Amino acid sequence: MVNKIKVKQLSCYYNKKCVLKSLSINIVQNEILSVIGPANSGKTTFLRTLNRMNDLNIAYYRDGVVYLDDNNIFDMNMEKLRRRVGMLFAMPIPLPMSIYENIVYAPKLFGLIKTKSEQNDIVEQTLKDASLWDEVKDRLNFSAMKMSGGQQQRLCIARILAVNPEVILFDEPCSGLDPISTAKVEEAMIELKRKYTIVLVTNNVKQASRVSDKTAFFLMGRLIEIDKTGELFVSPKKKETEDYITGRFG
Amino acid sequence: MIKLNPKLSQKLSYTLLCITVGLAIVPILMIVFVIVKNGLSAISWEFLTSMPKNGMREGGILPAILGTFSIVLCSIIVTLPIGVCAAIYLNEYAKNNLLTRIIKLAIVNLAGVPSVVYGLFGLGIFVMFFRLGVSIIAGALTLSIMELPVIITTVRGALSSVPHSFREASLSLGVSRWQTIRHIVLPNAIPGILTGTILSIARISGETAPILFTAAAFYVPHLPHSIFDQVMSLPYHLYIISTQIPNMPKNLIYGTALVLLMMVLTMSCVAIIARIYFRKRRKW
Repeated sequence: MVNKIKVKQLSCYYNKKCVLKSLSINIVQNEILSVIGPANSGKTTFLRTLNRMNDLNIAYYRDGVVYLDDNNIFDMNMEKLRRRVGMLFAMPIPLPMSIYENIVYAPKLFGLIKTKSEQNDIVEQTLKDASLWDEVKDRLNFSAMKMSGGQQQRLCIARILAVNPEVILFDEPCSGLDPISTAKVEEAMIELKRKYTIVLVTNNVKQASRVSDKTAFFLMGRLIEIDKTGELFVSPKKKETEDYITGRFG
Repeated sequence: MIKLNPKLSQKLSYTLLCITVGLAIVPILMIVFVIVKNGLSAISWEFLTSMPKNGMREGGILPAILGTFSIVLCSIIVTLPIGVCAAIYLNEYAKNNLLTRIIKLAIVNLAGVPSVVYGLFGLGIFVMFFRLGVSIIAGALTLSIMELPVIITTVRGALSSVPHSFREASLSLGVSRWQTIRHIVLPNAIPGILTGTILSIARISGETAPILFTAAAFYVPHLPHSIFDQVMSLPYHLYIISTQIPNMPKNLIYGTALVLLMMVLTMSCVAIIARIYFRKRRKW
């Protein structure tokens, strides 16, 4: 049980409005932590803080520290941090190029792969890891924009794997997908936790109970409860958690 | 207030709108018609490829065509890189603070300055202060300054038409900002940049006032040798032959106008075709 990420007293603000209040949370290596909670509970802000995507927003301001392997991420070089902490967005965003190019795009820029055969290997390996290989192996040079939503989302996972991160953040990755595509993405996620640490933000309480090892419940910018997923869903300690997971609000 | 029934008012407003469209189109068609009718007889291979003769009353307009061509070419070589870089800075890097807002406001307003003012500015700065003399380079630089705000605005438009999500996806992989611009934003903005550029070329090739004091000559008996030469140019040549030379054959005047018009229209057509081509190829 190694803590991959340690969040200490993290508070986040947009235009001086507090959206996350002194949050402290530990994320264990090779586990899936899912974050559930109603809208405006600060889940996505929390996620986008972990790889500093929010730093692009000038209205955003934060306080506190986040350690990744004992290094404060706010002192790190942003590009290096994002290579270690990848992110999958709510809507699949393939880049406007072929499936193949989507995967080799970042590793090529980083100089991680040089020869054509190395490129082929990384494309095959990552697509297999994202359980997409069998569906697209014959049309790697087709535009990624023409794939179905579920395939695009798995391509985005493969693209993240290609830069070999340590942590992957999923921001409601299945909100636009049908149940079968959702099942495939979840399947990929469970496979991935062997190698990576995963944080999953989801609006789908059932999804959290299906895939995650631990679940955290956020409400109005506060962490209400965090526990092993089995415990939290069977016997929540706080009333708000119980109300939310039984569907009484949210 | 008179109350019309909906059917009648619909018909009335429809008719009114049709008339206004007609009013907008008719003058353009008339201009083209008049120029083609009067000028077509002057157009020949010789007209396009020979020097003016007999006090410009005979012969061709080759030096004017080449003069306009060289001024516009020099000008775009200077403007495009500066304009694209400035637009990238403003669109991708600049923070939204007071200074940026002032710069943006200045750019919008510069685009509205009368072109003769640019001409005087060019005379003062390039011709006299930098001692470039009345020359292709002085005229081209003056046109560049005039065109820069327009180029910056079009390129910014092209850059912001690339979805923000592409940038986020690229950045989230750990790709740096510049690499994202270089490999994602710019390739997808090229169509917009290209069409914008062609349209500004078309626009500046017809400008007279900025080159009046900075590049254009009444008559030059030879073709331009270097960028420090004075040149004849189509719009200025047209002005001279239609106002300064007595007994000028009418069809030569209209023929010159037709050549200028055709140059501009051809470039606009190229821009339209390029836009259609890129829109079809676009993957998003």
